[in-house]
Amino acid sequence: MSAWFSDLTLLGCFLCMVLPIASFGLIMIFTRNNHKLSLAISLLCSTIPLIIAWSLLYKYWDIAEPIVYNYDWILSDFIKIPFGFLLDPTSLLMLTIVATISWLVQIYSIGYMEGDPGFGNYYAFLSLFALSMLGVSISSGLLQLYICWELVGVSSYLLIGFWYEKFSASEAGKKAFVVTRFGDVGFFMGLAILTIFYGNLEIANINSAAVAQSMPPWLISTAALLIFCGVMGKSAQFPLHVWLPDAMEGPTPVSALLHSATMVAAGVFLIARIYPFFSASPEAMAVALAIGTITLLLSSTIGMVATDIKQVWAYSTVSQLGFMIMGLAAGSYFAGYFHLTTHAGFKALLFLCSGVFIHHFGTNDFFVMAAKGGRKLIIPMVTITIAALALSGIFPFSGFFSKEAILGALYHHPNKIWFLMGLLGAFLTAYYTFRVIFVMLFPKNPAPEEQHGHDEPHEEHYGVPWVMSIPLLVLATFTLILGFCQGYLERFLLGHTLHHEHNYLLLVSAVVAALSGIGLAWIDWGSKKAKCVGFISYVPALENFFKEKWYMDHFWRWFLNVFIYGTFSRLFTYNDRRVVDGGVDTVAFSTIGSGRLLSFFQTALLQLNLLFMVVVVAGVGLYLLIGR
Amino acid sequence: MKVLLFGPELYFLGMALVLFILSLRRQVNIRIDHQVALGFAAGGVVVASACLFQQGELFFAAYRVDLFSQIFKVALALGLFLVLMISHNLAHIDDRYHAEFYLFLTTCTLGLMMLVSAVELLTIYVSLELSSYSLYILVPLRRGDDMDIEAGVKYLFIGAVSSCFMLFGLSYIFGATHSTYVNEVMAKMPELVQSPIGIMGLLLTLAGFFFKLSVFPFHFWAPDVYQGAANQVTTFIATVSKAAAVAVLLRLVALGEVYGFGFTQALWILSIVSMTLGNLVAIVQKDFKRMLAYSSIAHAGYVLMGILTLSEAGYTAAIYYAVAYLIMNFTCFMVISEVANDGRNLQIVELAGLYHRNPLLGLALMLGLFALAGVPPSIGFTGKLLVFTSAMKEGYFWLVLVGAVNGTISLYYYLKVVYAAYFLEGKELPAVHIGLSTRALSYALILIIIGFGVFPDRVVELARVAVKGVLL
Repeated sequence: MSAWFSDLTLLGCFLCMVLPIASFGLIMIFTRNNHKLSLAISLLCSTIPLIIAWSLLYKYWDIAEPIVYNYDWILSDFIKIPFGFLLDPTSLLMLTIVATISWLVQIYSIGYMEGDPGFGNYYAFLSLFALSMLGVSISSGLLQLYICWELVGVSSYLLIGFWYEKFSASEAGKKAFVVTRFGDVGFFMGLAILTIFYGNLEIANINSAAVAQSMPPWLISTAALLIFCGVMGKSAQFPLHVWLPDAMEGPTPVSALLHSATMVAAGVFLIARIYPFFSASPEAMAVALAIGTITLLLSSTIGMVATDIKQVWAYSTVSQLGFMIMGLAAGSYFAGYFHLTTHAGFKALLFLCSGVFIHHFGTNDFFVMAAKGGRKLIIPMVTITIAALALSGIFPFSGFFSKEAILGALYHHPNKIWFLMGLLGAFLTAYYTFRVIFVMLFPKNPAPEEQHGHDEPHEEHYGVPWVMSIPLLVLATFTLILGFCQGYLERFLLGHTLHHEHNYLLLVSAVVAALSGIGLAWIDWGSKKAKCVGFISYVPALENFFKEKWYMDHFWRWFLNVFIYGTFSRLFTYNDRRVVDGGVDTVAFSTIGSGRLLSFFQTALLQLNLLFMVVVVAGVGLYLLIGR
Repeated sequence: MKVLLFGPELYFLGMALVLFILSLRRQVNIRIDHQVALGFAAGGVVVASACLFQQGELFFAAYRVDLFSQIFKVALALGLFLVLMISHNLAHIDDRYHAEFYLFLTTCTLGLMMLVSAVELLTIYVSLELSSYSLYILVPLRRGDDMDIEAGVKYLFIGAVSSCFMLFGLSYIFGATHSTYVNEVMAKMPELVQSPIGIMGLLLTLAGFFFKLSVFPFHFWAPDVYQGAANQVTTFIATVSKAAAVAVLLRLVALGEVYGFGFTQALWILSIVSMTLGNLVAIVQKDFKRMLAYSSIAHAGYVLMGILTLSEAGYTAAIYYAVAYLIMNFTCFMVISEVANDGRNLQIVELAGLYHRNPLLGLALMLGLFALAGVPPSIGFTGKLLVFTSAMKEGYFWLVLVGAVNGTISLYYYLKVVYAAYFLEGKELPAVHIGLSTRALSYALILIIIGFGVFPDRVVELARVAVKGVLL
């Protein structure tokens, strides 16, 4: 036990895991009806990991070798499954992001969730979420990561369906859980392949060159692709992206921070985590690149026509995740991970600002918000604009730098089509982002009649609670400065700074794409003469296609009905009823029947019993004598 | 002071005398009877424990005192004490017979104690009969319907026939070896198992112990006696006398090193038939005691499995299993005699709603049944694990497989009782009130069932040391 306390790093990692689960347990079992106490416990148990994470980041800023603490859970001659902690730049950065974002969401939720009857539960779920995300960040083995990964799924299910009285919310929670599980089945099969054919699930070992020597390439590709299925589920990649927009049914802080910055980033993080293993398979990288690109374009086009502000940001998240995966798959570990970091900041900011508007106006439709005078909320309006600029990739905000990095990686890919797609994506992103901003900033038909039907607690009051605006300001600061940290982060993550050749073609094309997107948005929505219809409405068929979300929901519904319910479910039910149940019943009934039969031997006739005894003993004696 | 080696037996002889005097009184006071008996039994546990590490031989080496016998003597004394603890209301036995009830329980215990120490064939026989005759009287002591008479007669007849077998067998062995000392007989065993006279002699001798253990085909008495005798008597038969039978069987079998393939195979068959028959018939029983009777036949099969491996691990497992069986079976019988406090036979459905009628007894019953079924982490699971492991080590794969299948079957009828106690609403049935002593006893049993299931090493180690002493 003393080793725990003499080694502060180990103690820190340990606390990061223990405190949130302790908080979850305490609140669920004892204090969930006492809102103040629950809040205090939860805050305490998220503040300490925050401090630990930042101090670990500070302490190991110049880390050269990864620090590993392993406890072998299963160990045999050919299988090794460790549990423990792995600290290296990848995990330290993620740890810090996760700890920070979960802390911010807890602070912000004080204001947002005030007075909710499930306040205690909410904080318990947040603690569970913090536990699982922290676990994903610093796991030393893939199985441990997988367990935490599933816990992420559970806690996100609980949080999305938090307002479970609302039918759509509980449906959305279910959908998110099932869809991500669908991908996780692949993930688990990938782990199984690794265990069977390689036998070591320690991350540091999987990332070494030993894997390539002991497994044939096709097997590595299979494993990598199966693991990528998990990534597709959790990071909402095409075609498993359908759960994320629905997940916005949860409380806004949850969608803001969990479903934009941390949870969905887990998938991208997983690729970064086992990046050497992943890049050992060119096939997996190619598939990832294609999936990322499709996702980027698909969701940006849907974002262009959505009217629910959270939906816009949800699709934007999906597309940016696709963008990160493109960066990773194009060969630049740093670009993808850097975009993850900056995106965590500005996307959280976008959501939190939207949360303020939603909280204030009681609607999700940004046209209505604009009409009701959304721009009068000064701090949220300024910060949302900053975040939007970052999302569109405008200098000097953080998004500019990371997008630039990804586009650079795509530019160096031999096939230039990916680069062009990336540019198209950047253009679309800028367009749909500023569609929202311009609508909000320059409302065309202000102050329509008050829509009654939903109560508005603070009608004339345009102030924002401080607990809600402080996180906004903090995140806005991050958005401003994070881009300039690129050099430092490169040194931290890669151990050296990249050589930047100043490619003006790249720079100019990126900036032009972003600016033309913004410009088009201005023409369509911003300027005085704007007609307030998107350019896409000139092609009604396409607009309809986008509005119907590329018919993906229809596709899945059809898929479910035909394949899952219609085929597998029916067959399995039949098998269960007839073969399993029938078999078990037969065995059971015949067992009971034989018991009934044998009990007839237990007659009350004493002489028969005695005769039986003699016969059996004689029989055994004969057997022994003959068999001698 | 060689006589001290005979200490526990002398103590129980004295206790029997005191109880005999009590039974002669004209004025009956059942409270005093019970308190005297219980007090003496408690003293007996102390005396037996004090003599735990004695070693030596008595009576021309017909009687051996070693760790093996002394452990079983402690277990027997403890068993008697426990049975007396739940005998505080003997509703189905006439008041004036209470002292005799205690008296015969004591003489029976005395006989069993001598049995585990006896190493001479006639001493073994006499000890066995001492315990059997006490039980022949105890079984029909119940008042009321004629069921007890039927059970008593059946028990007497089957016991007598088994004794016949045994005596017949002993005469063969004596004729073949010209000795009645077990160690001398066993020294000649290698030649003995080659000859028909030796084989028949051994087989018939074992019959006497198989009767006690209710191994197939000597099991016919068990259901009727379990059902017909008073609850406390059944408890004694099902727990204390079973443990002693295991002990003496072990000592006999362990002394002969070589039996040959055919002999173990015969035991193999008896073991399989015992557990299969016991478990299958137990399924259809409605009377709880009768069900436990069949379950005891099945458990005899499990114990036999440990014994027939003829290995140190197997003997250790058998001892552990016997002690564990004593405890878990006792737990179930304690619940029976507390719930059926008027001394009636308990139907399984009468346990309905036990979880609210008396939660503590409900819990004890559930754990006892789980232990009987071999659910981890109970003491019964560890016992089964040890027995199966030892059999597996000796290569008896099919035996273990049948044992495992039987374990599953048994789970069904044990769970039926648990189901009755926990899932049937027994709203109209009265609450069960238990005294302080029973309460304490329940807690202790629960603790033992779980505790020694999780940390069995001490007991296993003790059993192993005892076995080593016997094997020498």
